[in-house]
Amino acid sequence: MPANKKKRKSPKDKDVELIRSINAGDLDLYYDLVKRYEQKLYNFGLRMCGDSQDAEDLVQDTFLNVFKYLQGFRYETKFKNWLYRVATSACIKKRRKSKFAPDRELSLEEFLPQNEAEIPKELPSWAMMPLDKLLNRELQEIIQQAILDLPEKYRLIMVLRDMEGFTTAETAEMLNITPANVKIRLHRGRLYLRDKLKDYFNND
Amino acid sequence: MTEKDHHHHDHACLEMFKMLSDYIDNDLDELTCKDIERHAAECVACKACLETLKQTINLCKGSTTRSVPDDVSRRLKATIQGLLENQPRL
Ligand SMILES: [Zn+2]
Repeated sequence: MPANKKKRKSPKDKDVELIRSINAGDLDLYYDLVKRYEQKLYNFGLRMCGDSQDAEDLVQDTFLNVFKYLQGFRYETKFKNWLYRVATSACIKKRRKSKFAPDRELSLEEFLPQNEAEIPKELPSWAMMPLDKLLNRELQEIIQQAILDLPEKYRLIMVLRDMEGFTTAETAEMLNITPANVKIRLHRGRLYLRDKLKDYFNND
Repeated sequence: MTEKDHHHHDHACLEMFKMLSDYIDNDLDELTCKDIERHAAECVACKACLETLKQTINLCKGSTTRSVPDDVSRRLKATIQGLLENQPRL
């Protein structure tokens, strides 16, 4: 085989290589795969559950499940997306057992100004500030809490799209919903968070 | 409430409000984008809406990640080792 046939390796290829070796019998390499995504998943867990114990459970459950199904991994999908799919379903299962964050629909109307006074007459200063001036610890916590207060179907989309950086198409595939549905939920989730931020800056 | 009751229920404003995320995510055709930009240039309420939503997304994207606490990492390692030790080897 000509040497130049080897393509440049993307991170995806690196995962695939590792998984092939694991599936070929080099099981100890599985821990390498775990280490590669441990921090990402832990933070995903924190964002989704808000609690470090729940985040740890999520990481553990996910990596146990991933190992169980690794032989059936389809190499044409990105491992990272598949991993998040497994993590997401572990997350949903977990939330069903807990009673907090009731599921409700968010309507577009509730984010419209309710009276004349709520209509902005000028650009709020926080909208124009550079991020590094704005994003302090306190604000991080406000955001984290607002995300947790979102009904799950909106929270999942917000976290996957705007925090974990998946595309609309990837998110849709992960959750088995249509891209249009992802967009609708994302827009409402963002508007919800924006309202919380508006409140925060108005009272500041 | 009738359409004229307040500014934000103006048809153009409402249409814009629905499309803000698609606009920010670059999911709209050029013509619609131009419409939105023209409207935002004249309507401070919608401009504010757009910029605050953009900033909301920036804040989400900019939120930092935490490192995994040592004890969490150690327990995960133990779980994986336990799992691997119990596998039949080829
Ligand atoms: Zn307007």
